[in-house]
Amino acid sequence: MASDRATSRHYPLDRVRGRLRAGRSLDDAVAETAREAGCPAAPLGAAARSYADLLGPPHATRVCRGTSCELAGAARVAEALAADGPVRPAYCLGHCHRSPVVLDPRGGVLVEVDPSRILTRLAKPAPLPAAPRIDCLAPEPIVTRRVARGDFSPLGKARADGAWSVLEAALECPPQAVLAEVEASGERGRGGSGYPTGAKWRAAARLPGPRVVIANGDEGDPGSFVDRVLLEHDPHGVLEGLALCAYAVGASEAVVFVRSEYPRALERMRIAVAEAERAGLLGERLCGRGPPLSVAVIEGFGRYVCGEETALIATLEGARGEARPRPPYPVERGLGGRPTVVNNVETLVNVPWIVERGARAFAAIGSEASNGTKALCLNVGFAQPGIVEVPFGIPLREVIQDWGATPCRSDELAGVLAGGPMGSFLAPEDCDVVLCWQALAKRDVRLGHGGLVAVHHDADLAALARHLLGFMAAESCGRCLPCRAGSASAHRLALEDLPAHAAAIRERLALMREASLCAFGRATPGPVEALLTRIVSG
Amino acid sequence: MSAETRIDGRSLAPRAGETVLDAAARLGIALPALCRAPAGAPEAGCRLCLVEDERDGALLAACHTPVRAGMQIRTGGPRLDDLRRRALALLVEERAPALRGNPTGSEIERWMHALGVPGRGLASTPDASHPLLRFDADRCVLCRRCVATCADVEGAFVWNVEGHGGETQLRFGGERFVDSACTGCGACVDVCPSAAIVDRDRRASAEPTQRTRSTCGYCGVGCQVEVGTRAGRVVRIDGVTDAAVNRGHLCAKGRYAHAWQASPDRLTRPLLRRGDVFEPVSWESALKFLSERLDAIHREHGADALAALTSSRSTNEAAYLLQKLFRLRFGTNHVDCCARVCHSSTADALRACFGTGAASASYADIEEARAIVVAGANPTEAHPVLGARILQQTRRGARLFVIDPRGIELCSLAAHHLPLRPGTNVALLNAIAKLWIEEQGFDAAFVEERCEGLAELARFLASVSLEETAATCGLTVEAIRGFARALAAAGPALYVTGLGLSEQTQGVASVQTLANLALLSGAVGRAGTGLLPLRGQNNVQGNADMGAMPDLLTGYRDLGDASVRADFEALWGGALPAAPGLRLPEMLEAARCGRLRALWVQGEDLAQSEPDQTRVLAALERLELLVVQELFLTETARRAHLVLPAASVLEQDGTFTNGERRVQRLRPALVPPGESRPDWRVIRDAGRALGLDWFYPTSADVLDEIARAAPALFGGLADTRLEGDGLQWPCPTSDHPGTARLYVERFARGRGRLTAHAHVPSPEADVAGFPLTLVTGRVRDQYNVGTMTRRTPLNELAPRDWLELAPGDADALGLRDGETVRVVSRWGETQVAARRSSRLSPRTCFLSFHHPESHTNRLTGPQRDPVSHCPEHKVTAIRVERLA
Repeated sequence: MASDRATSRHYPLDRVRGRLRAGRSLDDAVAETAREAGCPAAPLGAAARSYADLLGPPHATRVCRGTSCELAGAARVAEALAADGPVRPAYCLGHCHRSPVVLDPRGGVLVEVDPSRILTRLAKPAPLPAAPRIDCLAPEPIVTRRVARGDFSPLGKARADGAWSVLEAALECPPQAVLAEVEASGERGRGGSGYPTGAKWRAAARLPGPRVVIANGDEGDPGSFVDRVLLEHDPHGVLEGLALCAYAVGASEAVVFVRSEYPRALERMRIAVAEAERAGLLGERLCGRGPPLSVAVIEGFGRYVCGEETALIATLEGARGEARPRPPYPVERGLGGRPTVVNNVETLVNVPWIVERGARAFAAIGSEASNGTKALCLNVGFAQPGIVEVPFGIPLREVIQDWGATPCRSDELAGVLAGGPMGSFLAPEDCDVVLCWQALAKRDVRLGHGGLVAVHHDADLAALARHLLGFMAAESCGRCLPCRAGSASAHRLALEDLPAHAAAIRERLALMREASLCAFGRATPGPVEALLTRIVSG
Repeated sequence: MSAETRIDGRSLAPRAGETVLDAAARLGIALPALCRAPAGAPEAGCRLCLVEDERDGALLAACHTPVRAGMQIRTGGPRLDDLRRRALALLVEERAPALRGNPTGSEIERWMHALGVPGRGLASTPDASHPLLRFDADRCVLCRRCVATCADVEGAFVWNVEGHGGETQLRFGGERFVDSACTGCGACVDVCPSAAIVDRDRRASAEPTQRTRSTCGYCGVGCQVEVGTRAGRVVRIDGVTDAAVNRGHLCAKGRYAHAWQASPDRLTRPLLRRGDVFEPVSWESALKFLSERLDAIHREHGADALAALTSSRSTNEAAYLLQKLFRLRFGTNHVDCCARVCHSSTADALRACFGTGAASASYADIEEARAIVVAGANPTEAHPVLGARILQQTRRGARLFVIDPRGIELCSLAAHHLPLRPGTNVALLNAIAKLWIEEQGFDAAFVEERCEGLAELARFLASVSLEETAATCGLTVEAIRGFARALAAAGPALYVTGLGLSEQTQGVASVQTLANLALLSGAVGRAGTGLLPLRGQNNVQGNADMGAMPDLLTGYRDLGDASVRADFEALWGGALPAAPGLRLPEMLEAARCGRLRALWVQGEDLAQSEPDQTRVLAALERLELLVVQELFLTETARRAHLVLPAASVLEQDGTFTNGERRVQRLRPALVPPGESRPDWRVIRDAGRALGLDWFYPTSADVLDEIARAAPALFGGLADTRLEGDGLQWPCPTSDHPGTARLYVERFARGRGRLTAHAHVPSPEADVAGFPLTLVTGRVRDQYNVGTMTRRTPLNELAPRDWLELAPGDADALGLRDGETVRVVSRWGETQVAARRSSRLSPRTCFLSFHHPESHTNRLTGPQRDPVSHCPEHKVTAIRVERLA
């Protein structure tokens, strides 16, 4: 498609939302934005109508329908709240250690709910839920180095803890040196795909600029919440990683894309960018003497699939939130056609540590072939929920049993949903898998974003399968036939009679898995297929 | 591992950038690629083109997977067939219940048949609200080819996808399709794989038995068409895919407005007036009457009593022969054409500034332009195929600048738009030139090397006041300055102009002050720059080229030059008059005074299209002999003494010359109805009847003579060389490839001339008692006086002319939208329906002239440009009154 002039720099959907919040109708908001951005109105309007956040009632209560909350009775919560006002689902709010939760639009804060006691809407916003417990099983914490010790979002506190000092030092070295260090560390993307971070950076740096770097804070695998915690409590760690990335690849423009389901993370990140700009760390010159870097914080639009990098870029450009075929990869032709590096939040938080301590120190942690650590999120279904940073090479069972205090036995657990709906449903006996890229690949286990949701031995597996199919049908972007039609058809069959239609559902899932365009359609069938096997054999 | 690349066992050498789909197609292997549109990037949505790499069994989508060395691709087999079968079955189940596997059905239905997917064939209820297109949602497979095509070819953005997941839907923005933004170009129909979008004109009819390549007969873009006929009727018209001008694209008029051809009221026999009625007569008697009457008037009243008007809708050959007939046989230069009432100012101005009165650029410069100025033109409506190209280039990043009283469609993508008051072009363009010179925002090196007149221009512009200009134009100084600076910063631009500059009392000056900008910025003779006047009619360029002008001979050769006359006298075999003849408005004036007695009008409806209709009718009434060659009994033909039935564009051979100087062939797709005949043949036969020794067996013989008459421009033209995309003149020799871009090295007149023109207020400005200013023009779904389009389904889309007013002006009058009002100018009055339009600035109104009952040209007055005699269609002082 011809790319419309300058549209990509205007973040038109963000402007549409601004106008909606100012009370304009969707049509007016779209028309005014299109005029301003010099882009055609009709496609922008159609794109806007594909986003839950722009279509739904603006002041609806958002009930988390992530897997953890679903297992904790979110359906009943939604039903009860619906009697009292507009309600819409969220996938997910990132508080899986306290499920079920809802997002109250009045205060924009999270409310802990007890499904058995909700009868009417709360009179006023309830207190914030407690922060998750955060631990580290690695020799020393990398990702959780700050968040384990509290809230480091104020700039002063972050700087006192060393934030931004790595960048300041790195500016003394040529960008190639930073790139080489990250490359040598062997760090791989923490968002699920495990693509080597350094290789991604180098691919973008090789092509002529201008280039763009993006912090992907829209990876909302239900069950994982470490990104939310990092964005809320260590925004400067994320920004420093992003700035190092920009310096290494030669980008002067950066975007932090934060899920609308994480309102506090968004607020903290906005404050952090403003503080860093005021302090002269960002903007005209990095740390007052480096190259320029402008950072825009953009709120997500409530579409799960926009955590996928090409869909995220499409959203920023004002298009439908849909995956695009690759090649071209975003590092070749990304935002507005520019070479674009999209990195996950956790990946970026690793970067200052790597640059400061060196690739060798990073490689010293973890297994032989998988360097560093991984933050795992254990949901409320485990005896001890929270975030635990583990070194690669540790068996999953050890984490669940020793840290999560939950026996990996079939009389306790039907299984663990690892990596969210695009991950893997692991039976207790499968939990012996070792956390390391090679071992996971060999066993065809997808750890995704490191979220672990405990499915208890007495859980209704058919209901869980129906829930996952509903999620697929709702969040499929609609671009490719197998995923769009397959998920809708399978979900309908499952609602009719899941056991009776198991074979037909499997057939649709197989088509999705084999033929879909992006990872969403190829990976979401996995957990459901595993559940179907258990249900049918069951 | 072998590095040899194979597809289905056949080896091939991968080409750079080639996808597996392209490579397979190269080997003649067809794959189901339902979502792959010719325009735009791969959609990669249908997944039916999945192929298998035999090395690892990986499934790859052929449409977006590059061919790499060593690939061993398998495109079929049980695994892939099964996958495709399941996907198609799912598609039908979920989405398209009306489809049915069928070996003769739509693209997808043929694949269903091939793969054994039966489909369901359920009944559906398509949206049939639109007169040209029909949409059946139950056949839509969400392939999005239409989305990409509508966006990236036409730029109308009608088709869009809304919703997500299983709720994803194709939408057209409106309840009924007729209420959508569809322009009726039909490009989506050509790509729809499931016949969810179909053309209504060809749906019911069988496939054509004959297809004829020809040139579209509407506007001056000159699109190449393929006319499909069957049993003597047009059943469909398609764009020619590889044509340079339109690359397969057409507008609604070119594609769908052909029903006039078989209209029962086509003229099929010569008609001779007997008292108040017409009597059909034979061609023999018609030609006898014609030659005798012309001869008699010539004998009794001399050469000045006769005049001829060639038709911008007819061929070069017809125009050439008619001017030759009158000059040679009657010794008069009273020949002109309707270019007089449209682009005569442009032609005069460009000839004066550059040396040639035609476009300096080609359409292909649009795709090379980094900045485009559209001044006084509305291309998306009047020249839709070029409008779309300008729009697409803007989407690709070119900066667009619009100068127009109205907020035309292109304004939505424009970086700057100056909505000036009608009739103030010269003031505004001077102000921009002044700013450029004062702020050193011009190409001094280019001006120094290639232009003349800078000192005089600069001296004159020093006296121009920006504040006064702003007040004159109804703009702010800041807006003008912002425009001027942005345009200077954008680099040399392509200047696309239209009748908004030309049809003014300062028409020539308007175009010359615009040419100043092109010269000052070095925007001539370079890629992506130049002057590109959009010609309103298919062959208005050709009529001027042929010498259908009172002061110029064929190829713009100077009538006043004795050696030129001698050339023509030798070629034509007779003496030629030296004195320039009357221009069209002067002819009408002479007729009204009784000095002009005989007028031969080739296919022009003077009664409807000329300004100051009341006086035009008086002139026509007074003629002793009015001969009209026409398709239909138009308002003008009704007043004729002899009406000669004409073969149409679809029924004759010959050439047209488009707005980029491209001479293209038209070819007969049908035989002329009844006894109607091609214009050029009738003139030839009249010439013979008048005693001339004219031997032109075919139109190609006329073209050969045209080449000899003006060898510098047309010497290389020949029927046999005009296959395909034709030739752009100048084309002096038979081995010359034609000329896409003029003035690359030097201007035709040597140096480019900068000219100083002071703004002179229009006589229609600030007329007491007439507070509003009327601009007349065309709308998208009609063409000129509507003789053809009103006889087609397009008429349903624009069944009346609307007086459009700025909302505030309508409020002040207390008008309801749709109310019929009285519109009064100093020259006449009429009654039309009025409505509000946000496209208009306060005190400016717009009215089209497509429907005779609107009498739009009763309002326009006798004001003309003093040089070109182009009438001031674009500025008329009016008042609007509510009916009691």
